[in-house]
Amino acid sequence: MKSDTRTDARPARVLVVERLSKSFGGLKAVDDVSLEVFEGEILALVGDNGAGKSTLVKAIAGAQPPDSGQILIDGVARQLNTPRDASVAGIGCLHQGLGLVDTLNVPENVFLGRELTTKLMNCIPQLDQTKMRERTIELLSGFGISLPRLNDPVVGLSGGQRQTVAISRLLLQDVRLIIMDEPMAALGVEEGRRVLDLVRTMSQRGISVIVITHNLEHVFQLADRIAVMKNGRLVGLVNAQATTRYDVVRLITLGKSDQGN
Amino acid sequence: MNATVESERTIGHADRRWLFQGIGLTAVIIVLAILFIAINPRFGTLANLINILTQASFIIVIAVGMTFVITSAGIDLSVGSAVAFITVVAFGLIKGGLNPFLGVVFMFALGAFIGCLIGGFVAYVKIPPFIATLGFMAGLRGLALVHSAGEMHFGLPVSLTYIGQGDIAGIPVPVIISFAAAAFGAWLFNRTRFGLYVKAIGGNREAARLAGVPVNRIEVMVYVLMGMFTALGGLIMMTRIDSTQATIGTAMEIHVISAVIIGGTSLFGGRGTIYGTVMGALLLSMMNNALIIAGVDFFWQLVVMGCIVLIAVAISNLREQRIPLLAHFLRRAPKGAAANNPADGPSH
Ligand SMILES: Nc1ncnc2c1ncn2[C@@H]1O[C@H](COP(=O)(O)OP(=O)(O)OP(=O)(O)O)[C@@H](O)[C@H]1O
Ligand SMILES: [Mg+2]
Repeated sequence: MKSDTRTDARPARVLVVERLSKSFGGLKAVDDVSLEVFEGEILALVGDNGAGKSTLVKAIAGAQPPDSGQILIDGVARQLNTPRDASVAGIGCLHQGLGLVDTLNVPENVFLGRELTTKLMNCIPQLDQTKMRERTIELLSGFGISLPRLNDPVVGLSGGQRQTVAISRLLLQDVRLIIMDEPMAALGVEEGRRVLDLVRTMSQRGISVIVITHNLEHVFQLADRIAVMKNGRLVGLVNAQATTRYDVVRLITLGKSDQGN
Repeated sequence: MNATVESERTIGHADRRWLFQGIGLTAVIIVLAILFIAINPRFGTLANLINILTQASFIIVIAVGMTFVITSAGIDLSVGSAVAFITVVAFGLIKGGLNPFLGVVFMFALGAFIGCLIGGFVAYVKIPPFIATLGFMAGLRGLALVHSAGEMHFGLPVSLTYIGQGDIAGIPVPVIISFAAAAFGAWLFNRTRFGLYVKAIGGNREAARLAGVPVNRIEVMVYVLMGMFTALGGLIMMTRIDSTQATIGTAMEIHVISAVIIGGTSLFGGRGTIYGTVMGALLLSMMNNALIIAGVDFFWQLVVMGCIVLIAVAISNLREQRIPLLAHFLRRAPKGAAANNPADGPSH
């Protein structure tokens, strides 16, 4: 691995993926992928539809264990069998399609799986709905958003509002690594820029971010490095400064760049 | 933070639309009650009203459990058979000399055990709840018949019949139990992590799983809870009439599920209301009572109940605008007409 020689110069490796594979029937969705993510780094993961991006990050997020391969967090090999395992390991994930529960309201969605509780009569645990509501309002206002009806099921929200709700879930956790699978998909220009800012802020705080997007403009605005997948394989891993949009497109579509990889 | 703001927030947090539905149903019940009293004053006597509550008590208890099941996007068709199986076995044991208190504990344990099996099949073997509980419906009825086909058990100790026949300050014990069970259910449903997870699983199981909800474990717990509410309902039934038999509770699932659906809980899962369920059960009990007083026979009562269920679901679909054409007419008057006027202004 070429980056090994540079390890000392670079920040610590937060995530190491070693020879990860995942098949569905005969289809190799992720095929022997190895990858590293450094502390505070923004890694853009790109590739055509069906390239295997979501499958790869699902394995890292504990949502869908791989068939083979290893995942190391801060140098320690981890068995991530459930989303909770990943969460405990400091990995937060915004899944493609957002993963909201339509019938729950905004605070319930934001806090699902990480509820705040109080004690009823000092002994019986119950939800602290007041506090969750207040925290939700805080989180959303951090995005410059105020939703008029926090108590209604989120099914009634617009695509962008839903996306903001899903993203604010990430801000609750104490994380080392955040994965965002197409976070800008349904957002307007303004909200999209806020997400870009958010990603940068996180990276400045030392949180690593893997962001999947089809928008190459966003990729070049954000990313330190760009990983390209095609047909389940990692076909390129390039420094954003040292490459061009043309090269990345070639990698995505042809699986090779001009330099002859 | 001062107390007024606090309470305002709490009230504000209740899902208003469903609250409204609960109030709507309550209004229907009150209007119908007034109508029935006008038709036949015998309906309105205190004794009869208490009778309605008592009749509804075990349905309320089991329907509270069913609200959790249906909200989790499940269904339990086996409650009637479970009541039969649990009561005949427990009755036999108690008559055979088992301490009545232990007998009651045994009923709850058996209910929980049955629920655990059902939940296991649903969550881990991935048998659809409809099919799994259809199996238990047949199987448990069969076991009840094996245990005591054609036998009529009766003669419980007084300590137990008090549960079904006693009263506190004129209020029958079954009524008190049913309201306590409903209050507990409402708390569990609305205020606890478990209740939230039940709604999350029913609303979007995959999203719940990705959020870290232990979906399988919660699903098993839902059926265990159902089993224990079923046992409590069975306890009330058997102590109220001081007897049981293998055919008790036949077709009970229809009444219970009807109460839940009339109450406004979504059959698609994800949301429900305990208050609505209680109101649904009361509405059914009241209708049956009125029909009995009017001398209408049992078969017609079933027909009426079927109609109520259909009407209730139609109304709730309308409100949720699942039927676009009708909803179009029911929607609030569009503001378009007024909003257009200013735009027209300059052109004059
Ligand atoms: N649960 C599954 N069962 C069967 N096949 C699957 C499953 N999940 C993904 N696949 C297949 O694996 C391949 C990779 O899918 P994946 O969702 O990882 O692609 P992607 O790169 O995220 O694409 P997109 O940009 O469209 O989101 C696809 O061919 C897809 O059909
Ligand atoms: Mg994808």
